[in-house]
Amino acid sequence: MAELTCDSIDNTVLDTLQPPSRFYWLLIAFLFMGVLLGAGCWLYQIVTGIGVGGQNNPVHWGIYLVNFVFWVGIAHSGTLISAILHLFRAGWRNPIARAAETMTIFAVCVAGLFPFIHLGRVWVVFYMLPIPTQRTLWPNFTSPLMFDVVAISTYLMVSAAFWYTGMLPDLATVRDRASGTRKKIFQVLSLGWTGTHEQWRHYARGYLFFASLATPLVISVHSVVSWDFALGVVPGWHTTIFAPYFVAGAIHSGLAMVLTLMIPLRKIFKYEAIITVSVLENVAKTIVFTGIIVGFAYGTELFIAWYSHNVVEMETFRWRIFGDYSLEYWIMVICNTLIPLLFLFQKIRTRIPWLFGLSLLINVGMWYERFVIIIGSVAHDFVPYTWGLYRPSLIELGIMFGSFCLFFFLFVLFVKHLPSVSMTEMKETLFAGDHHDQ
Amino acid sequence: MTNETISILGLFDSDDAAAVAIRNLKKSSWSVERVHSPVPSPKIMNALNVKKSRVGWFTLAGGILGFLAGFGLAVFSATRWNLIVGGKPVVAWVPFFIVGFEFTILFAVMGNIIGLLTLARLPQFRPPGPVDPGFSGARFGVIATCARSQETDLSHFFRDNGATVMTVEKPTG
Repeated sequence: MAELTCDSIDNTVLDTLQPPSRFYWLLIAFLFMGVLLGAGCWLYQIVTGIGVGGQNNPVHWGIYLVNFVFWVGIAHSGTLISAILHLFRAGWRNPIARAAETMTIFAVCVAGLFPFIHLGRVWVVFYMLPIPTQRTLWPNFTSPLMFDVVAISTYLMVSAAFWYTGMLPDLATVRDRASGTRKKIFQVLSLGWTGTHEQWRHYARGYLFFASLATPLVISVHSVVSWDFALGVVPGWHTTIFAPYFVAGAIHSGLAMVLTLMIPLRKIFKYEAIITVSVLENVAKTIVFTGIIVGFAYGTELFIAWYSHNVVEMETFRWRIFGDYSLEYWIMVICNTLIPLLFLFQKIRTRIPWLFGLSLLINVGMWYERFVIIIGSVAHDFVPYTWGLYRPSLIELGIMFGSFCLFFFLFVLFVKHLPSVSMTEMKETLFAGDHHDQ
Repeated sequence: MTNETISILGLFDSDDAAAVAIRNLKKSSWSVERVHSPVPSPKIMNALNVKKSRVGWFTLAGGILGFLAGFGLAVFSATRWNLIVGGKPVVAWVPFFIVGFEFTILFAVMGNIIGLLTLARLPQFRPPGPVDPGFSGARFGVIATCARSQETDLSHFFRDNGATVMTVEKPTG
């Protein structure tokens, strides 16, 4: 493998911004069709009514909320990689930080759509905003749902600001190698960055504060999401372990999604010298760590249900394991706790097909985790008379398909129009004499 | 015309060489006008002996304002109607602290951005002088000013300190 230099880093990254091939536009067209399909399903739901979904007594939170939690979770590893690992000075995060941050923003955008979709009457969404209206009613800030509104919107704005600020020097690099209108566009986007020592002095300090502020934010956001459930008096939800359990699960799923996105990215854009196998291996090692935490949380839930001697809790967890959704439960357990342990073997975590395949399985497992928690608990709560089952309708599945297409559509657009690897951070590692894959 | 000054640019391949040149410049009668670099370099910052940025004060001000705004908003909303909801007091400290916390982060980040833009003087669509494209690639540029009569001496100085390219800017004096 050739030694990395500043020029080779710039050339490799800037080559990705060359005019795209026909295959790229075909992919964009396919994803856009998927987005239209999802939008069509949502429009049908708005016109017809929320009853076109499968939610009904006793399960009122269906896969709209499953997808909401799933996408918020996916968003978390971006901030882990860009902010937390930045504070720890982990050099291996540099090649993947930009793409992970971008993943965060698009995942939060997609997640943010689901409460709107779930509302049904989406035009009354302003009820959640603290604004004076003719109703003279104000949001109830003691509700975890209102914490969510504040936390998710804060997370989106902070992530977007962090992402854009981090990209300023790279936008200047693109500008300096462009001409004509493209140069003018990037001159505006880079805010006229020239890399003077005064700019770097304030930038470096500001970036450090960004990372320091994003770190507690990322932990708070998924804790707040977990309280949507934990503050409800429902067996399987009402537990203090939920905040750390959700945060660990979020990072677990996000890291898996990083592998899912990075592996095709490095292949298509010939990033092998930058996003090395060693970098991916480090992500895999972190997945083992988060997988163990998640597995510990699953075990703790079962232990506490047994130890409490509470018949409702015990029945809830017995039903999870052996009941109508037992298949989903075992998919969750196997994909999230057992499969990541395969990364303990060096032969597996250094082979790209294994990394990619296992990351997909972990993503599936984490989606099912949300399904098991959200659907399973309310489907089988206190009174046997109210027990019932839920199955998503085609409309819900269509919207879910559209959301996945929207995420990949935005990501694919990004990688061809903006630098998907931080050239500045890669060069910083070179000048510091460190290795970017350690 | 004897007081007329000019700026001379020395281009370096590494921050080590640029930092040495800056230190030597500071010992001379010439002054460093500015330094361009593709990455933030602690070596250059040390050589320039610059003070710590004051961005943090903007961040702190934003954070304090944010906490007051978030907590205040929750209190204001709750006290419009003094109704006890969910058994919690009308002004519930613990849940309102969460709202205050999120606003703290949001406003601190906004303060951080305002501080960064203000102190770094961005956006700056008219560059402070000639900008080499290498500044965003792999080159470090040190710009020093001297009297026109000392142009040759400063040029030799840069060459002696390992600058590979030198460009004379338009007179600034």
